[in-house]
Amino acid sequence: MALADYRSDMESCCRCSACKFIPLEKVTGYARANVCPSISRFEFHSYSGGGRMGFGLGLIHGRVEYTPKTAEVIYNCHLCGACDVSCKYAMEFDVLEPLYAMREECAKHGQSVPVWDGLVAGLAKGAPLVLEPETAEDDWFADLPVADAAERGAAACPSAVLYHAGCLARCTRAAGRTAAAAVTLLARAGLKVAVDKQAESCCGGRAYEMGYRAQALARARENVARFAELGIMELVTGCAHCYQYFKVLYPKLGVEHGLKVFHITEYLWTLVEQGRLSPTRPVKLRVTYHDPCHLGRLSEPWIPWQGVQRMRHMRVYDPPRVLRRGTYGVYEPPRRLLESIPGVRLVEMARSKEYAWCCGAGGGVRETNPEFAAFTAAERLAEAQDTGAEAVVTACPHCVRNLMEPGGLVSAGASAESRIRVYDLVELLGESMSGGA
Amino acid sequence: MTLTKEQYRALAAVVGGEHLSDDPVDLDAWAWRSGQAAMAQDFKPRFEAIVMPACTEEVQALVRLCNKFGLKFKASSTGWGSYCDPGGPGCIMLDLRRMDRILEINEENMYAVVEPYVIHAQLQAELMKRGLCCNVNGAGGNTSALPLAAHEGIGHMSASCGIGERNLLACEWVTPAGEVVRLGSLGSLGEWFCGDGPGPSLRGVMRGNVVPLGGLGVYTKAAVKVYHWPGPPSVELKGCSPHYAPVKLPPHFLLRYLSWPAEEGREAGIRRLGESEICFGVMGFNANMMAANVATNNEEELRLTEEYSKQIVGPGVCLVIAGNSARDFEYKRRVLELIVQETGATSLKAVEEGEVHDAFVWRFIRVTASIRETMRATGVFGGEVFGTDSYLVQSNFIQHSRKDKAELVARGLVYPDNTDPFITSLEQGQLTHSEVLLRWTPDPEVAQAAAEYVAKANRNAVEGHYGLPHHLWGDPQHDFFGPHTCNYTHWLRKIKKAYDPNGVAESTHHITAAE
Repeated sequence: MALADYRSDMESCCRCSACKFIPLEKVTGYARANVCPSISRFEFHSYSGGGRMGFGLGLIHGRVEYTPKTAEVIYNCHLCGACDVSCKYAMEFDVLEPLYAMREECAKHGQSVPVWDGLVAGLAKGAPLVLEPETAEDDWFADLPVADAAERGAAACPSAVLYHAGCLARCTRAAGRTAAAAVTLLARAGLKVAVDKQAESCCGGRAYEMGYRAQALARARENVARFAELGIMELVTGCAHCYQYFKVLYPKLGVEHGLKVFHITEYLWTLVEQGRLSPTRPVKLRVTYHDPCHLGRLSEPWIPWQGVQRMRHMRVYDPPRVLRRGTYGVYEPPRRLLESIPGVRLVEMARSKEYAWCCGAGGGVRETNPEFAAFTAAERLAEAQDTGAEAVVTACPHCVRNLMEPGGLVSAGASAESRIRVYDLVELLGESMSGGA
Repeated sequence: MTLTKEQYRALAAVVGGEHLSDDPVDLDAWAWRSGQAAMAQDFKPRFEAIVMPACTEEVQALVRLCNKFGLKFKASSTGWGSYCDPGGPGCIMLDLRRMDRILEINEENMYAVVEPYVIHAQLQAELMKRGLCCNVNGAGGNTSALPLAAHEGIGHMSASCGIGERNLLACEWVTPAGEVVRLGSLGSLGEWFCGDGPGPSLRGVMRGNVVPLGGLGVYTKAAVKVYHWPGPPSVELKGCSPHYAPVKLPPHFLLRYLSWPAEEGREAGIRRLGESEICFGVMGFNANMMAANVATNNEEELRLTEEYSKQIVGPGVCLVIAGNSARDFEYKRRVLELIVQETGATSLKAVEEGEVHDAFVWRFIRVTASIRETMRATGVFGGEVFGTDSYLVQSNFIQHSRKDKAELVARGLVYPDNTDPFITSLEQGQLTHSEVLLRWTPDPEVAQAAAEYVAKANRNAVEGHYGLPHHLWGDPQHDFFGPHTCNYTHWLRKIKKAYDPNGVAESTHHITAAE
């Protein structure tokens, strides 16, 4: 939908500022009450969900133009969706969807971000959306005895399960190791998963988030055609972003695929529950879990809706319009998995699940404004440290990377502000398997 | 008008360039709030610039610059109310977002000192850890905890935790002329102090009947009176937004919704509840507000409104009882039973027990559902805000105005939500406050009708001798009431002139010096 299609939603903003805070019932003190990294960093109301509704209407009415400054405000947002959740605790309109639409309009008006123009240029060929790749794209599975979905087809892959590693696994060493650990764990559970070794391509979702709808749509269509060609029935993603895009974005773009989409943590938890994987080696660690936005509040299924307001004054619709509020994100499987690891003690951060603070990688910010990405990560790491945890565990390579190297500004290991360790959950689970992953 | 380079440079020199903007994208962010006619020309006037001071000294410097340059200013914190907007060009906004510290919580003397951008949810949570609680504005936990920031400072716990005008113990005030005045304990030397400050009730001068809504300078700190909290330091919640509920409700808490067949019953009930002082919180909700609290979306709200309406026999009240001990709780519960019996009240079974009850108690105390009650249904909320007076005065006033609302409903101009009468009891029944909510889908015809409705309510107030409503914003309304109310407008204007000789504190929603 175009920005103008969200006019009624945006007009409903009463400027209550709820979008700036965690859901109010959850406020347990002075600290960590904020939920929006953007206004927390930039302070001006325009950087909040509500402020964006205000100037969004200005854009529709031609009062505000698409200038570099406008683009700067629009792109300095992680699109983490926290404002949307806090607003919808009470209200009945979409906050996040207009933000996507604004970026699309920005790109149309020639205010896209140069660094992303360059990245997206390669998307048509399936190139990963990663700046400065560290590894060759096939490095991560080079030493793994994993089936190639293309070479051997569905016959060698009876479960028709495809593991989609994602761009970061194909381009960075740390995420590559995590992807390898994931595939090894699946194999250990007796699952014959396949990898599209020669043709795994970017899912295109991050391009959509940066406003390149047409390019993302084309990529989505090509990917779905490829899945059909491979005879895939189930898709397991190692990346929370890919998970959300396949599960939510593709249907939103009208690209139906009929696949069952799982995040690796969902899949692994099922295997642990079924007794097919048994973490037995103790990992003595007090940990806190960081909910990736794309796995948590943003992962509810897309609910298509087209209809009319049923009563003149009340915002009820025919057919009923069900809003996505972040209620049914993937929150429990990662936590249950963590708890299944002997020796691990899970402590929660002040902001978790549907109102978790973003890691700072979202919305393309790590590429467009590393300093802001670092700010957001530093806040999250400080929050993690407040719990007394020795490590923060998460389930998305983008989160791992930005928490380990906030904004890419710290070269390696823990950030300058934090001595807390950062793990991908898959890594930790691998460590707890006797004999390793 | 746009700022000159000299003006911009001078403002930037105070706050730093990164805390000042006159870009349209930042200005338009503040130029919309729902509740208007939804046409391009109905955006609010833009501020000339947004300036974000970090401390009192910066506020003072900015105010002095406004005097020097002849710029108007308006300060606000969370910026919800329409009175946070400028009335026309030539005004800069002092966005107090960076002034967000809790400066002190004095447990022994039971007060807290806050800056303007501390929200109630934060202060209340910190107080609960210390066995204390504060009044939270009925508008919600998302609003400023500064007792001067809100229009009135009346809320769910006003039965036991006072109201804004009473809870203001001290204040730091940057006058429109750029002087810093400290009243009450903030201006004392640690000796005896008076909340009214030096001289003849400076607090009254500074505050008035309702706060001056930006028209008399900037309040940069305030000491707020806090009260005893009979609950635990925190309550663990289960569920995901918007479906929260306490894992276990703290002991000795109980919520009831009582209704009576006629207004006389409610009046007697509220009076008895006040006399017995058993209530921690009281709100004169109606079926729709009860439903809005429980429902997580409009479809559910419609269904529950219908369901509750069948069980509610007439005007009602929602109350929370909180016991300090099992014995105290049992006493209060039995007194409540007696009042129910003797006044012929009916209790709404749907909220009496289980998760609905427990969740309602916590939501009520944290005041988190106000947005649901007011804005969610249509996205727009308006209406009348009456004053603070005795129950009967408020009740009679509202009876007039609800008839006028019924007329709008009959013409299809506003949502027939049955939200009136809405009356709340303050300070254990000593005072009462009431409102009539209007909600609608924005269009020019409805906006016009809503404005006419408020004008009619004002006439009712005068003709019925009901006193001053609280929705008196701006010269026309004050000038309408002044001649009927001891010409208070003369005094209000004298104060305005004395403290704001250059007329720089933007007064669209207060009063200007012009006779």
